[in-house]
Amino acid sequence: MRTIFRALAPLAACLALAACATVTSAPAGAMKVGAAYEVALGRDWSDISKIMNGRTDKVRLLSIDGPLLNRLYLSDGLEPGEYLIKPAAKETPTPVIRRDMSASERLEFVTDSVVALEYQRVQLVRPRPAKLGQGSGVRFDLTAQTKSGLDVKGTGVISEQGGKTYVLLYLAPAEHYFDANLAEVEAIIGSAKLG
Amino acid sequence: MAGRAVSALALAAALASAPAVAQERAAGLRPDVTSAEAGFWSVMDDAEAEAKTRADLNTDPALNAYVRGVMCKVAAAHCPDLRVYVMDRPFMNASMAPNGYSEVWSGLLLRATDEAELAYVLGHEVSHFTENHTIEAHRAKKVRANVALAATVVVAVAGAASAASAGTASEAQSIMDATGNTIDLIYYAQIASYFRFSREQEAEADLLGQRKLAAAGYDPAAAPESWRGLITETEGSDFKRVRDSGTRNSVFSSHPLSSDRIAALDGQAKTLTAGGDRGRERHRAAIRPHLGVWLRDDLRKRDFGQTLVVIDRLAVSGEDLGVLNYYRGEAYRMRRGDGDLPRAREAYLVAAVHADAPPATWRELGDIRRRDGDLAGARTAYESYLAKAPQAEDAWLVQDSLSSLQQGQ
Repeated sequence: MRTIFRALAPLAACLALAACATVTSAPAGAMKVGAAYEVALGRDWSDISKIMNGRTDKVRLLSIDGPLLNRLYLSDGLEPGEYLIKPAAKETPTPVIRRDMSASERLEFVTDSVVALEYQRVQLVRPRPAKLGQGSGVRFDLTAQTKSGLDVKGTGVISEQGGKTYVLLYLAPAEHYFDANLAEVEAIIGSAKLG
Repeated sequence: MAGRAVSALALAAALASAPAVAQERAAGLRPDVTSAEAGFWSVMDDAEAEAKTRADLNTDPALNAYVRGVMCKVAAAHCPDLRVYVMDRPFMNASMAPNGYSEVWSGLLLRATDEAELAYVLGHEVSHFTENHTIEAHRAKKVRANVALAATVVVAVAGAASAASAGTASEAQSIMDATGNTIDLIYYAQIASYFRFSREQEAEADLLGQRKLAAAGYDPAAAPESWRGLITETEGSDFKRVRDSGTRNSVFSSHPLSSDRIAALDGQAKTLTAGGDRGRERHRAAIRPHLGVWLRDDLRKRDFGQTLVVIDRLAVSGEDLGVLNYYRGEAYRMRRGDGDLPRAREAYLVAAVHADAPPATWRELGDIRRRDGDLAGARTAYESYLAKAPQAEDAWLVQDSLSSLQQGQ
């Protein structure tokens, strides 16, 4: 019996590893974010949603060079009570979508969600009118720092449509990486098809 | 075997016994480069270099000079040995490394009612330095590890010998089980003794810190009061687990219970000169430029009950009521529990009568009135915001809200 267990152990280990979270490809072209929401990727990205802390089923996280160098959050429509970043414990809550959020509270939701990712000195700047798909929203930029003091920049859009909140958020180090992929991110924001 | 088990228990008890009291180090003393202490210094020199580049380092020269000044008052002759860095972290904490590198977190500065409470915490941290607590803890840990290892070997050999001479297989198995349990007990005792040592060092630093506080001319009553403030804040938490944490301790706790610390400090205060400087105005003047940012950081922890307790303490003096009531309103607005939005509206209204209320007070008041259906009131508040902050980056958003109100949307 022990011999059989020994023979099956590597197989069991392989199955266990296969069941583990992995990074998958997000190839250039149309990418469905949700049932009625898609964007067009201009190049190949990696989908790192399943290896990141605080992930939720409604949020896809893409990267090109790894999460510390560039990350793009794409949320499907978040409903009241849902998060962009899931809390690790009840005693360390993260921002949630509320039914009666004001425009400034939606921006606060973005800023405080980035704080929940443990970025420091997060500042949302240049909020401006924008479209996401056919709906109206707010474009914004962000500045922040990593704990060790690296300057980070961000940009994105938040839009409430049909009682659901859609967030697209790009974060990358200010030096080289943010600008290197900004045009691609702008194109992705512009490509959003909703509804 | 029973006798041997008792011996092992005695060993375990020995592991948990109190450490020898550390000697105060001489001012200006640097460790021998070949010593274990020099190794700690080297590691902490690296940590200090890293701290200087961290994003949350507060670089306000006036604030840093204030904190360093208070540190030097309680450190006296040791002042030149110490470097203190203010970090913008919303937790009540300060730390001291064996090389004299110290951090004071903004959460502590926000929670200290006055300079005397800050001086007590700094005196506590200075005492860790002057009493060589880190190196003493390291030495004690090594001794305990050696004792535990020796005890484990003795118990294991004795257990094996007894099992070998047992009359039956089941008796041998029972002896081996008992041996294993005894070894586990020795290791638990070793870990528990490490934490007990830590608690004793904390208790010692508390009393020494209070003596340093009094010697520097401050009121020694500030020491227990700082702990009472922390207990009140813990009790005000939105989370049961946090509220309960203040009354629970175990053999694996690194710090004594706050209530025990208060009792010890109240007791020692009777032996010290009562009264003394509190420095409330000096402290508030030093932290005033940072109140808004630190309260926003505190709100982002999202334990709004605790933040409200902190705001209540800050508001007792009757100063900064525009800022404090604005953030009180923010805490209620963000928490959104039963009755919180009316409380937020009231807090914004109180803030609005004070000259130091941030312009955002009127934007939030407009949003709340709009939710309440008070459209005329919302319009007035939005107009006030735009008048007070015409250049605000979100002015167009508020103008948008105002326009939609005027269009009856």
